Amino acid sequence: MTDEPNDGELKMVMAVVRPDKLGDVKQALAETGAPSLTVTNVSGRGSQPAKKGQWRGEEYTVDLHQKVKVECVVADIPAQDVVDAIADAAQTGEPGDGKIFVLPVESAKQVRTGKAGQDAV
Amino acid sequence: MTLELLGDFALQLSPGAVANGVNYVWILVVCFLIFFMQPGFALLESGQVRAKNVGNVLMKNMTDWTLGTLVFFVLGAAVSGLVAQLTAPGTAFDLMGAFGYMSSTGGAGWVDWFFGAVFAMTAATIVSGAVAGRMKFSAYVFVAVAMTAVIYPAVTGMTWGGGLLSGSGFIGDALNVGYLDFAGATVVHMVGGLAGLVGAKMVGPRAGRFDENGQSQPIPGHSMLLAVLGTLFLAFGWYGFNVGTQATVLAAGDGAVTFQGAALGRVVLNTTLGMGAGAVAAMLVSAGWQGKPDPLWAANGLLAGLVAVTGAVPHVTWWGGLILGGLAGALVLPTYRWVVDSLKIDDVCGVFAVHGSAGAIGTILIPVFAYQSGGVAILGDTWGFGGGTQLAMQVIGVAVIGLWTVVMTAVAFKVADVVFGLRVSETEEEAGLDETEHGVSVYPEFVAGGSREGPTVSTDGSGVSGGTQDD
Repeated sequence: MTDEPNDGELKMVMAVVRPDKLGDVKQALAETGAPSLTVTNVSGRGSQPAKKGQWRGEEYTVDLHQKVKVECVVADIPAQDVVDAIADAAQTGEPGDGKIFVLPVESAKQVRTGKAGQDAV
Repeated sequence: MTLELLGDFALQLSPGAVANGVNYVWILVVCFLIFFMQPGFALLESGQVRAKNVGNVLMKNMTDWTLGTLVFFVLGAAVSGLVAQLTAPGTAFDLMGAFGYMSSTGGAGWVDWFFGAVFAMTAATIVSGAVAGRMKFSAYVFVAVAMTAVIYPAVTGMTWGGGLLSGSGFIGDALNVGYLDFAGATVVHMVGGLAGLVGAKMVGPRAGRFDENGQSQPIPGHSMLLAVLGTLFLAFGWYGFNVGTQATVLAAGDGAVTFQGAALGRVVLNTTLGMGAGAVAAMLVSAGWQGKPDPLWAANGLLAGLVAVTGAVPHVTWWGGLILGGLAGALVLPTYRWVVDSLKIDDVCGVFAVHGSAGAIGTILIPVFAYQSGGVAILGDTWGFGGGTQLAMQVIGVAVIGLWTVVMTAVAFKVADVVFGLRVSETEEEAGLDETEHGVSVYPEFVAGGSREGPTVSTDGSGVSGGTQDD
């Protein structure tokens, strides 16, 4: 146990959130000091109930909901701070707000400079 | 001085020449408007199919117009003339006369031909929406040629050309009334809608459209935006279709020309009221049926309303036009459900409900809502029943045109089936007609594209080819 944030390791915070909360999440990440992120449009299923779609009155079930996946790798900023910031920004209280995962990252390299490890992030 | 000059100028004008010139310019302008229905159909149909079949829809629409005009020039227009000759008493068979339009180097004969052509291509292009997503392109091209060479031209020959159903044809002459279909609610739209229904039946439903119990399964189209925009493009072109058929803008006589404002006004008003009532009725019916007002049904109802009044616009009172449009709009959803749930026919774009039945209903009911100069004044317009004979003529006309279209379309699809085969294979259908019939992707970025000069990676284990690589 050291005093370094993330025990000196790299962590990836991967969050799946509502698309219309992306702006708030980006703002919160910037305020936490972890502005770098990758965003992907994804669809998935969780606790949000299935929706009914219809075409010419014929119904079909939509149980995969549109979400955005935000990935943010941190070194100096504690992953827990990032998790809290995202959770705070993305919450509405309704089913379908999403989930946040924290994963260990084995290594990192910055393509432009060739810096590795903590310095790459 | 100036007045004197103007006076001299006026004296040199022949009212007949002025009226003729203005009328033909009007006809050309409305033809261009009617041509604009082609992008309307392209968008309407594209939006209602899946992304993998859009290129095929576009290809079919372009073929309908381009190949269709060529066929209509070398053959279709003559077939129309021949059918008119053969189905009217007292007209001599004149093969060269029927082809006379080809040598119309003086006068405006070629403008007249073009006026006919834009209507013919509208009829042809309706069919493609019904058979979308599974029909072989080659077979479709054959059917499109049959539509523009024979099936549609024969109908104009029987009606507008002065044949069978017109006042001078065998049936019209016997009953002493001519069949009323002003701009082609049946001649153009019912022909297209019925041909589409027959074609969709013969080609069979798309894979997955009905489950093992015969219950319909939805196959949503890829863009309601395109479908609704296409509808509005069509409505814009429709003003050319209906108002343009009122081809006489100026009438010449007695050293003066008179503007035909009353006739044009009735046509444009009934077109607009029919369109509006059709959309509103479909919106209400869809809200009742499905719980919420549905934009696609509203769009279909708008078109059904237009189809219903297309034959009736100069012949009916304004409230008659409104009722006809509303009736067709209200019926579009139940009619589509009947085609799918009872007939088990996969009419992808609902062309029977929008063009077929709406055209028949609107045209049959013309005498019921007939405008009569000096008739009973109701809501500012003068009404008079068009007569039982006229009503009978309308029913006979719809039956004759309908029977001809169903039989001939069935023959055309049968021949196409024998010669080309009607359907693509199951694998091709699943991959989509864009890739298998045309080798293209309309939305390449949906399907992760390869880089410009990069290597091609095979996922079957055979490795990487192309590009530079080290082993």
